[in-house]
Amino acid sequence: MKTNIIGVYEDENVLLDAIDRLQAEGVTISDVFSPIPLHRVWEKLNLTTRIPLATFIYGTVGAIATFIFLFWTSVVNYPLKFGGKPLNTLSFIIIMFVLTIAIGTIFTFLTYFLREKMYPGKKVELAVPRTTDDQFTIVIERPLSMSLEEEKKINALLKETGAVEIIETND
Amino acid sequence: MDNKLQVGAKFNIAMIVLIVVGLVTVIAGFMTGEATRTWANLLLNNYYFLAIAIGGTFWLAIQAITQSGWSSAFVRVPQAFSIYIIVSFFLFMILFLGLHDLYHWTHKEVVMEDPILLHKEPYLNIPFFTIRYVLFFALWIYLTQRIRKLSLKEDELGGTKFFEKIEFTSKVYIFVLAITFSLFSFDWLMSLDPHWYSTIYAIKKFIMAFYHGTSIIIAILIILNKMGHFPMLNKMHMADFSRWLLVLSMIWGYMWLSQYLLIWYANIPEETVYYVPRTMGEYKNYFYSELIINWLFPFLYLMWNRVGKNKNAMLFLVLVLMVGQWVELYMSIMPNTIESHSITYIEVGTFIGFTGIFTLVVFWSLSRVPLIARNHPYLEESINHGH
Repeated sequence: MKTNIIGVYEDENVLLDAIDRLQAEGVTISDVFSPIPLHRVWEKLNLTTRIPLATFIYGTVGAIATFIFLFWTSVVNYPLKFGGKPLNTLSFIIIMFVLTIAIGTIFTFLTYFLREKMYPGKKVELAVPRTTDDQFTIVIERPLSMSLEEEKKINALLKETGAVEIIETND
Repeated sequence: MDNKLQVGAKFNIAMIVLIVVGLVTVIAGFMTGEATRTWANLLLNNYYFLAIAIGGTFWLAIQAITQSGWSSAFVRVPQAFSIYIIVSFFLFMILFLGLHDLYHWTHKEVVMEDPILLHKEPYLNIPFFTIRYVLFFALWIYLTQRIRKLSLKEDELGGTKFFEKIEFTSKVYIFVLAITFSLFSFDWLMSLDPHWYSTIYAIKKFIMAFYHGTSIIIAILIILNKMGHFPMLNKMHMADFSRWLLVLSMIWGYMWLSQYLLIWYANIPEETVYYVPRTMGEYKNYFYSELIINWLFPFLYLMWNRVGKNKNAMLFLVLVLMVGQWVELYMSIMPNTIESHSITYIEVGTFIGFTGIFTLVVFWSLSRVPLIARNHPYLEESINHGH
């Protein structure tokens, strides 16, 4: 069982400075929640994601699978000549193009939902409800082994860097 | 920060040498009886560099309309392209001497015997052709120079008044460009084969201009950055530029397919006549390399996230795209003019000459004004982009 210390900020620039300050003091930030995408947070926290790679793989597989499907339907299984065009034709490209996008998008969403344990109709679990609106939060993990002094130091740092509110939650 | 570009005498001499090489090639081309080939090459290179200037200024207009902050430090580079449009006006004038060699609708006796050309005669005749040429260039020069002048005035006076005026002029410019550049492509490239027409031709050439114009902006920025100018050019700017190229490569590929697939599928002889010499026989290799160089390679290359942030990798891509644009125009022009493919000294020489003119004009106009629009309202945002 571990708990989290959450610092709430109201301005993105204050938040970015706070991240610098906390990292300089050796505090490990486990996550940042923000209503808008902030590229610098991404860089500062050294976050990585394999979602684009997954999308690329889904797209490639989708293109190949669609081609095999089209080839099977219009060349192998039911070869019907029309308009004097070859059976294995260029017009496959449009269907491949569209289905590649569809497969890539749908599977990316599914992967994202699985990884984030999300599903339609899931109840919102937010420590700070306004993170989807106009507030930014820094989440710092607090394992049981953390001493009281250390926790106080983190709290003080959060206050000092401009947090408007500090919350502790059970995970 | 407000540094000016110093163009050295060595640079000028080097560029003049390139121009002289081009000039000698053109003269040699005429002397050795290769008149048609020389005219075709002059047309190709004229269109090539005009398209870069048009595409660059279109990019500039888009930045103003969308009020983009990140790019505001670099507006002087595409603004310098607008000077080349003036030079291009005079360079295109030379081609009027070779109209008879290039366009067979200019021959009165041919038109009289050909019902299709006779039908098109009210539009496709030399006086109206000339009027359109003057009108289009006048509009482009007026609007792009207005944007440039306003930006230079903003440097001195500041305030958001000029910013708004530039935005308005840019809006007018993109509408004007949509119509005029389309008709310009019809006039100068599509009428090489006056029996054939395609309405998607214009948008394809327009996207080509936009695509390659943007790539040349990036190349000049990187070169200037390596020389010590534009110190604010960082990885985020580069990433944004590479996204522009990625998107444009996709639009280009889409347009290429839209034109080819429809003509191939409908299979109407009047339309396929364009692709028959291009996909079968001598031009086959150019046909595929056009698609691979302009779409497949940049598309896969830019998908790799690191490439966009690496200046040398981007410079390499721009070099590839320069070849790509040349191949595309070669494919548009040569099958209707010289009819047999071969790359001789004329192709190489004229391209070198025009590269010299373009580089000289752009760097000359860059050296005349401060490199950074210091009173641009979004300059601060551009400098701190990604911080």
